[in-house]
Amino acid sequence: MKIVGVAACTVGIAHTYIAQEKLEGAAKKAGHEISMETQGTIGTENELSAEQIAEADIVILATDVKLNNRERFDGKRIIEVATDIAVKSPNKLVKKAEEVLAQKQ
Amino acid sequence: MEINEILNERTMKTNMNAGTKDEALHELAGLLLENDYITDIDRFMKDIYAREEIGQTGIGNYIAIPHGKSDFVKEIGVAIGINQSEIPWETLDDHGVKGIILFAVGNDNDGADNHLKLLSMFARKLGNDDVVEKLLHSERTEDVKEAFAG
Repeated sequence: MKIVGVAACTVGIAHTYIAQEKLEGAAKKAGHEISMETQGTIGTENELSAEQIAEADIVILATDVKLNNRERFDGKRIIEVATDIAVKSPNKLVKKAEEVLAQKQ
Repeated sequence: MEINEILNERTMKTNMNAGTKDEALHELAGLLLENDYITDIDRFMKDIYAREEIGQTGIGNYIAIPHGKSDFVKEIGVAIGINQSEIPWETLDDHGVKGIILFAVGNDNDGADNHLKLLSMFARKLGNDDVVEKLLHSERTEDVKEAFAG
């Protein structure tokens, strides 16, 4: 499946990027395509395109703060968790995404 | 841009012998002070502890990433300590920590985009299990640098 998502933590220095790396690693290991945007102290990086969002089967938001441009994901299947969850259990989170998608079909 | 640019062997310590979180934080902040990354150790520590109160900085796998933004940071950088024994810490997996990475970031980061970018690249590495494994087994500061080079 195709996953897009955003990671954004409280301070925007560390957890954001660790969550991004862990989720990307877990999704790729499970054979999925993934692209994670980060919103941190440095600003937005790896910004998701409208096309990427349109094509995505599911959206994972790993955030502790209010996201910029959250409305981009209106109408999509969204899983929203704290960054800690993405850091602690990235594999479980990807599995959850698989389950949510299976329910939909 | 190379992650190495943000790493400084003078702010790394392997075979560290801290018994508590506070000892470890003070030892690493001391390295940051000696090497001119921060201007005031007590007030820097206060900002670090303010972040500690919000939530766990132990990310599991025996790694902790204490950080916070502080007015007493002169230059963005990191101090890295590899401790000989496990230190009690608030962590996501309920283990203690052996690898402590203390981030120093200012409140005003104008003109520091390059360093912030390097820091984000560095933080990503900590989400990689292979890097963490190498880091925890570092015996010399060169090993620490090497762990992040891959």
